Amino acid sequence: MSSQAIARNIIFTVWGSLLAMTAVEVFLAYENLALKLMFSLLIGISVLKASLIVAYFMHLRYERRGMIWTLVPAFVFVLIMMFGIFPDSLRLFHMRVPGH
Amino acid sequence: MASKEVVASGVDASGGIWGGGVRPFGVPSKKLGMWLFVISDALTFSVVIFAYGYLRLAAADWPRPFLFVPSIVNASVMTFVLMTSSVTMVYAVRSAQLGLRKASVWWLCATVLCGVIFDVLHLREWAGLIKEGVRPLQNPWGTPMFGSAFFSLTGLHMLHVTIGIIYLLAVAAMFGSSKATADDVEVSGLYWHFVDLVWMFIFPLVYLLSAHR
Amino acid sequence: MSDGVTPVVHHAHAPTSFIRRYVFSLDHKVIGQQYYMLALFSVFIGMLLSWLVRIHLVWAKFPIPLISHLSPNGAPGGVITPEYYLSLLTLHGTLMVFFVLTTAPQSGFGNYILPIQIGAEDMAFPTLNMLSFWTTFVALVVLVSTFFVKDGPPISGWTAYPPLSAIGGDAGPGLSLGQDLWAISIALFCIGSLMGALNFIVTTLDMRCRGMLLSRMPLSTWGWLITAVLALLSFAVLFAACILLILDRNAGTSFFIPGGLIVSEKIQPHSGGSPLLWQHLFWFFGHPEVYIAIVPGWGIISQILPVFARKPILGYKVILGCLGSIAGLSFMVWGHHMFVSGMSPYSGFLFSVPTLIITLPATIMTLLWLGTVWGGKLRLTTSMLFALAFISVFVTGGLGGMFLAQPSLDIYLHATYFVVGHFHMVMGVAAIFAMLAGTYFWYPKMFGRMLNETLGKIHFWITFVGVYAIFMPMHFLGLAGNVRRYSEFTDDFLQPLIPVHKFITVCALAVGATQFIFLFNVFWSMLKGEKAPDNPWDATSLEWSIPSPPPFDNFDGKHPVVYRGPNEYGTPSGEKDFEMQATPPAEIQRRTI
Repeated sequence: MSSQAIARNIIFTVWGSLLAMTAVEVFLAYENLALKLMFSLLIGISVLKASLIVAYFMHLRYERRGMIWTLVPAFVFVLIMMFGIFPDSLRLFHMRVPGH
Repeated sequence: MASKEVVASGVDASGGIWGGGVRPFGVPSKKLGMWLFVISDALTFSVVIFAYGYLRLAAADWPRPFLFVPSIVNASVMTFVLMTSSVTMVYAVRSAQLGLRKASVWWLCATVLCGVIFDVLHLREWAGLIKEGVRPLQNPWGTPMFGSAFFSLTGLHMLHVTIGIIYLLAVAAMFGSSKATADDVEVSGLYWHFVDLVWMFIFPLVYLLSAHR
Repeated sequence: MSDGVTPVVHHAHAPTSFIRRYVFSLDHKVIGQQYYMLALFSVFIGMLLSWLVRIHLVWAKFPIPLISHLSPNGAPGGVITPEYYLSLLTLHGTLMVFFVLTTAPQSGFGNYILPIQIGAEDMAFPTLNMLSFWTTFVALVVLVSTFFVKDGPPISGWTAYPPLSAIGGDAGPGLSLGQDLWAISIALFCIGSLMGALNFIVTTLDMRCRGMLLSRMPLSTWGWLITAVLALLSFAVLFAACILLILDRNAGTSFFIPGGLIVSEKIQPHSGGSPLLWQHLFWFFGHPEVYIAIVPGWGIISQILPVFARKPILGYKVILGCLGSIAGLSFMVWGHHMFVSGMSPYSGFLFSVPTLIITLPATIMTLLWLGTVWGGKLRLTTSMLFALAFISVFVTGGLGGMFLAQPSLDIYLHATYFVVGHFHMVMGVAAIFAMLAGTYFWYPKMFGRMLNETLGKIHFWITFVGVYAIFMPMHFLGLAGNVRRYSEFTDDFLQPLIPVHKFITVCALAVGATQFIFLFNVFWSMLKGEKAPDNPWDATSLEWSIPSPPPFDNFDGKHPVVYRGPNEYGTPSGEKDFEMQATPPAEIQRRTI
């Protein structure tokens, strides 16, 4: 076999955490928070959920370190670079003709 | 010309797992291949999400039409269904790795069932929104971009779920008749978890941030 | 049956049917040649288009034969309309950038040579390899079909900026069906490229033979690996952008189209989108794309120079560091294509600095190449001439980039012929020279015959002098303010520049005609060329240890073992001045006793 079969208690712990975090997200959506804060919190929780899925369900945590270092940094780097498009979006918002 | 047999004394023992003749990551090549595909598809989705973010930030009046009942509840149920399908997928892979072929096929079918439920709930939601007048370029509530972004993003995701359903059914059939190995089940699991993962971002960014308060 | 540890050996038998051997082949060598031929076809169509463009610029009223049959609306009486001029330009750019510079260097040479250079029997996923070629082929057919649809090819350039490209037929000829077909073609191309990139990465990591450490891989292999990583990450972005464009055009969405547009007296129903969004997404792909075009070339040149200088490459690890850092930096600079889009000067600064920093590793590599050649025992074969000329044209083209990297200068130079001169010099000349050097180098291995050296040298000298004659003046035209993408020069200030354009056109036609010598050489030598030995160039890497052409499974069922890097040139060993990678140490001892 190419990898050890995952233990059942890990499956349920991760699933439980995902459910709990989803509940927190829904709860937060109805709190009166500033948009930027809300957005950051939601994204942060989503990243956590994604990390759990990648690490445990997709087994990446148990793979060789070389594989993790090959796959993750490049993706994260490109994602961070994409944030470079937002200054123009904010500029557009500020340039809008009132009423449009 | 060099002699044909391997000259044992001359073979370089250094390099270890990177020394050639062995897979440095210790996983079957198709698993590494699926990981690379997941990375590239994740980037494609990221671009569409970034485009949504770009347009939303630049927009003046983004609507927040999703009432708790039915929209947020429906979306939460869909999230629950997809997360459960991930668990059944993990079980399918686990059973396959333990040699329990029939159990694995059943778990794969359970995953497919969850996927079908997800698609059905999603299509019902789409039908409801379309009836209320939401189109790619108009809606009764605010900037016309809302429909564009919503349908494109969720449509792309639904397409991936549907392709996943077909893929998992094929894997189930082939694994059940011993034409596929546990590795193939694991590789299909990577794709399915990826589809779940994307939804983890779509749910808050599209639904929760447009929740009607 | 894999346990995930030892590499699987393809116990494939050589196919027998014609379809399996030459059409739907799974053999990486056949697929590499198919890609190369696709690129060769595309480059000649692209060159023909460039002739039409150049002729129209200086002899606009001259009726060009046959073209009115291709497009009665676009070229009535053989005289190209301004819109059709843009159509020709769009297809020229699209064909050249995608179907020549992204196929031949990476999928053409890489597919053929990489598995052999790492000691593998084939790629990791042969079926995926075949699918990637045929997807690319279908993409080409779809693109070329735009010539034959009503209204012709799109006029929006290879960059397809909205709103022009997104609105549809109201915006001009070629922008209804033509633009849809363009978007579909490029989307298909993205899929083909992504499949190929995945294959290259897994193959290079998993399928190396014993002893082939990463630090013993030839630099050409490293070039293909790094390019594959760039392609995997950047084509995913372009694919998404194409999907959004197709949705805008067909599903009523409006990602890229702002509100309030009145085009051809019709109010456009779209609103809320941003053309800048497309520019960001396109160039986020577009800049790594130009590195995808040149990095294989850098790898190939780093491979060829030591062979014909009989000296090891200077600074193997430094070159690797340069390649890697350029790959990383290439994702940080896309805004330099958008300096004039109204971005804040701070954004401009943030894009300009990494663009200037990229020149450092590029310069270091150039100096290392020069250092490799310095003091070597040069063998001036045609391949080596193109490799040396590569250094020259790459420096020339690259220097133009240093001007364009500065926003203050780019505001003046953007969309002038300065840019045209710059990118043709680096992509249209340097990358092509690397391909030609690679062709003259690996042709004996691929076809078992030598290319004619006399024809090769004639081809080289006319081309080398000719490309300088074509593209150097463009830099000065740009400095004089000559705007690009104009189909006619009617402004007063452009009139004194028209003789320069005439000179460029004549040179372009001459250099273009010379390429037929090369084409003739390629096909004639396949039948009548001198038979090639296994190692005509006395080179060290693994492809030179097998017969020319190679057997079906490359190493004839054996598994090569590698004992050293590819840099053993100038090392006296018996009568030879080089040592091949797979020669066992025991044999060297026997030889030198």
